[in-house]
Amino acid sequence: MLNPLTMEDILNNNRLYGITALFDTPDEIIHAAKEVAKAGYKKFDVNTPYPVHGMDRSMGLRRSLVGYVTTFLGFSATAFILLFMFWTMSIDYPMVIGGKPYFALPAFIPITFETTVLLGGIATVVGLIALFSSLPYNNHPLHDTDYMRAVSSDKYGIVIESEDPLFDEEKVKELFAKLGSKKIHSVFYPEETQIPVFQPRYIVFLIVTAIAVSALTYVTLNKVLFIEPFSWMMEQDKVTPQEKSSFFSDSYGMRTPVEGTVARGFIPYPYKGMAAPTETLPNPLLPTKEVLELGKKKYLTYCSPCHGNFADGDSRLRGQFPNPPTLHSQRARDFSDGMIYHIIVNGQNIMPSYESQTTVEERWAIVHYIRALQRAKNAKLDDLQEVNKEIQLNVEE
Amino acid sequence: MTIFAVMCAGIFPIIHTGRPWLAGYLVPYPNQHGLWVNFISPLVWDVFAVSTYFTISLLFWYVGLIPDFATLRDRTVSKVKKTIYSIFSLGWRHSNRHWQHYEKAYMILAGLSTPLVLSVHTIVSFDFATSILPGWHTTIFPPYFVAGAIFSGFAMVVTVLVFVRKVFDMEQIITIDHLEKMNKILLATGMMVGYAYAMEFFIAWYSGVHFEFFVFVNRAFGPYAWAYWIMVSCNVLFPQLFWFRKIRRSIPAMFVIVILVNVGMWFERFVIIVSSLHRDFLPSSWGYFTPTLVDLGILLGSFGLFFTLVILFSRTLPVVSMSEVKAVAPNAQPTHHGGHLE
Amino acid sequence: MSRNNTGYIRKELPGSVARIGYLLFAAGLILGIIGYLIEPVRASYSYLTAFMFLVSIGVGSLFLVALEYITGAEWSTPFRRLSEFVASSVPLFIIFAIPLLLSMHSLFHWTHTEVVKEDPVLTTKSPYLNTTFFIIRVVVIFGVWTLFYYLFTRNSLKQDDTGDQKLTKKNIVLSGIFIPVFAITVTLTSIDWLMSLEPHWYSTIFGVYYFSGATLGALAVLTLMVVLLKENGYLSSRLTNDHYYSLGTLLFAFICFWGYIAFSQYMLIWYANLPEENFWFLHRWENGWQYLSIILIFTHFIVPFGALLSYPAKTNPKRLKFMSIWIIIVHYIDIYWLSMPNLQANGHGFVISWVDFVFPVGIIGFLIVLFSLKAKKHNLVPVGDPKLQKGLNFTLH
Repeated sequence: MLNPLTMEDILNNNRLYGITALFDTPDEIIHAAKEVAKAGYKKFDVNTPYPVHGMDRSMGLRRSLVGYVTTFLGFSATAFILLFMFWTMSIDYPMVIGGKPYFALPAFIPITFETTVLLGGIATVVGLIALFSSLPYNNHPLHDTDYMRAVSSDKYGIVIESEDPLFDEEKVKELFAKLGSKKIHSVFYPEETQIPVFQPRYIVFLIVTAIAVSALTYVTLNKVLFIEPFSWMMEQDKVTPQEKSSFFSDSYGMRTPVEGTVARGFIPYPYKGMAAPTETLPNPLLPTKEVLELGKKKYLTYCSPCHGNFADGDSRLRGQFPNPPTLHSQRARDFSDGMIYHIIVNGQNIMPSYESQTTVEERWAIVHYIRALQRAKNAKLDDLQEVNKEIQLNVEE
Repeated sequence: MTIFAVMCAGIFPIIHTGRPWLAGYLVPYPNQHGLWVNFISPLVWDVFAVSTYFTISLLFWYVGLIPDFATLRDRTVSKVKKTIYSIFSLGWRHSNRHWQHYEKAYMILAGLSTPLVLSVHTIVSFDFATSILPGWHTTIFPPYFVAGAIFSGFAMVVTVLVFVRKVFDMEQIITIDHLEKMNKILLATGMMVGYAYAMEFFIAWYSGVHFEFFVFVNRAFGPYAWAYWIMVSCNVLFPQLFWFRKIRRSIPAMFVIVILVNVGMWFERFVIIVSSLHRDFLPSSWGYFTPTLVDLGILLGSFGLFFTLVILFSRTLPVVSMSEVKAVAPNAQPTHHGGHLE
Repeated sequence: MSRNNTGYIRKELPGSVARIGYLLFAAGLILGIIGYLIEPVRASYSYLTAFMFLVSIGVGSLFLVALEYITGAEWSTPFRRLSEFVASSVPLFIIFAIPLLLSMHSLFHWTHTEVVKEDPVLTTKSPYLNTTFFIIRVVVIFGVWTLFYYLFTRNSLKQDDTGDQKLTKKNIVLSGIFIPVFAITVTLTSIDWLMSLEPHWYSTIFGVYYFSGATLGALAVLTLMVVLLKENGYLSSRLTNDHYYSLGTLLFAFICFWGYIAFSQYMLIWYANLPEENFWFLHRWENGWQYLSIILIFTHFIVPFGALLSYPAKTNPKRLKFMSIWIIIVHYIDIYWLSMPNLQANGHGFVISWVDFVFPVGIIGFLIVLFSLKAKKHNLVPVGDPKLQKGLNFTLH
């Protein structure tokens, strides 16, 4: 009675959504629900300002399945969090903390419980809203009607949708009148609006949000983090490499070590700067496979650029003055191990010292390798026989 | 109130890190250090407990507000407010098909929240009880803290209600009967707290561990005795007045007592922390702790934040759940319904 | 208030009930005496276990009666009398305690004064743990409980005839006094009889632990009685699923509460790992006791939790009966787990003996006899209670 067909509705030819009826007491609405359900309608709904006892049964609704969502996701969370803690604390980065075992089950229980409740609760709410109620739904035909206003406040309402197979406008109005409703009216679908995404207010909202978020992020990460107190730990008293120092008069933070400082693992060479070592320096390493491999590697790294890959003096520096010599010359072959070592450490003529690039062990390994190269270049028949024997063995295997 | 209190509480672990901008490290997420949080530590349990408590309380509160947002949406005349209420009500149209799921979900949330509430303060108690300090390491801490939490929580609720019902003219909705029932629970939980005090003291003597016994004697008779006796009188003695019906139903009397309860519960925390720590195993480290202005500032700040949020909330949102109150008003439910017979 | 209105018609329990009770009691008594003669120490411990089991259920039932009065609950009024019947065991506690008081020397280390003299920890405790004070406490505590039992039940039974509402008010005041007294006395009882079996150990939550088990046991006994008697028509016919649901919920809640207390006690002691505390649990994790510990966790928490979680489970009479019996048995195992390892703390390991079964059988027989004697003399439903009608009308929705 309150909302007959408006001119607007007739002119716009909006589709009928359904017929609604309002009642004043809970007993009436229960009765109405029972009757409508009994009459066979399926697409109908009851709207009340609060849940009325017994309505679920009167409408013939089946039990809510929300509880299953809670249980399933809650206990999945239990399994997940236990596995997660097991993996992080026992496999990925195990540490002995307080003498506890890696998988400290009693200590994991509180977190397991909390996570179960957290995910169970979130699942319940998300399930309720999105899954079971299909909300948010703000342009439902019933919104902004007198029916909705009444039902939000203190009246009880029932609506039968036009999409129900048994729907007949006259029959439904008759039924409602029989049930005693004084306020029966039709509800229409709202005007078709443009695609929600392209509505101007939505786009404006998007742009405003994007700007706000970008501005906030920029300000936080580029400005806020650099003001006190957030910047306190960034500026520390310790001197970092390349940093200026206000303590020293020359403002250098990095200082040269004191005269005579010896680097860790470094043994000073007593014959530095001299033409040759004054005593025989024996090679402390044995020419094992590992030593020769090491020597080869370091030779190729440091020596081959000048002396060539096989010590022939045929690197790409060949031809310049002075030429890097071959190491197969008689002079080189006559050098003692100690002399070769001396040349590596001291340098010779235009060859610089390679003391800082190599360790003591590596230098002696290079010596062995050079010796091996020299022998290979001037091999004797006996050597070939040894090699043939080796090949035979390998072939047989 | 819960949510605001949790928010205030949640600030403190962040303050306690000393480097609050690194608070993200408290949460286990894959990072470039390859590190994980220490799941064995009670402080990490706190992170999970407080976050869960905050989230679930927020969800619980919000779900309860949805029907009320819908009612506000349908009654407001301001277009701006209508838009805001429409968004927050999610288009709720009071459909019984939704009420059915809603009721179930609400009950599930209540069922989840109850053990959650107990668990949160239990985990806080673990912060102390998992240590090896006398006065801190004792098995009764979990139920003791939970009872204490309910005790101080109810006291705060009564404090707030006394104001709210007067200011918002809700004396018919929140009645003296409600307040009286709350005071009975205050009496009960206060006695549980008193039981815990007695047990701690007795077992401290019974254990034969001199350190343990010393801590408790020191609490009662050492330099902080004044704090201890304030705690005992406010938590155990004054609530005994609630044995008397007249006092339970008198607004001025109950208001004074519940304020004292909150004071007493604060002192309980003070006693546990300060008087246990100021004299522990190494006598050369003994001293007398006096809070600085920073400590007091933080404390007052947290009170201020809490009350500001409560007042803001009272001004903008329904403090009483309209739909729930409608559901229990007289004549709200149909007259012929009963429990199912077998 | 006619009887028909309450749906309760008083009938005699079949004679077979009392006969079974007498049979079990006699078996327990005779076999128990034999056990004492053959293995006196073991029999003392077994009997102590059964005794504490009886105490927990008896005084737990008295607590349930007081709890109903102090909370003003109505739903439990229709079967409160059943708990009163079980609580009638309270005045007899002192009789059951006599064999234990006579064998204190074999049960409690702290009765051996020579041992105490050498041990500084035990010496410190001796003002509390000495034979004289112990006996005084036992007599006083059981006396106080007996007094409260008589006061409560005298009022309740008188109300059957007079329907005087002032008697309910008296009982409410009485429960207000009883409950704090109960808290302290049940704590002291558990400390005296169970915790002091290992006098070097201590736990502030022990009283709460025993209390949780006692309430759980009393609730399980109550639920079992309610379902059995209702099914056979001995209680009001107006009891519904909602009453069952409430009992099931309380059972579930106290299972959770027990689990919570048990976990707190265990985890805190495990975490701090102090030798003066953890040895008690270590005893229960070696020599075969670990199996019983794990069985306890599963049967006392995990299984009942899952079995009573859902709504249908809490209203299904078969499920309730089964789980009640399960919980009663498991509560006994809990007390067994508390007391028996102290017998075998000398490294004998976990061994079950026939003696362990004899006493619980006797106790159950005793309770059945007691119940049938009371049922002969009094109504099973408190017909004069002003809350009875509301209690029978009780619905959840």
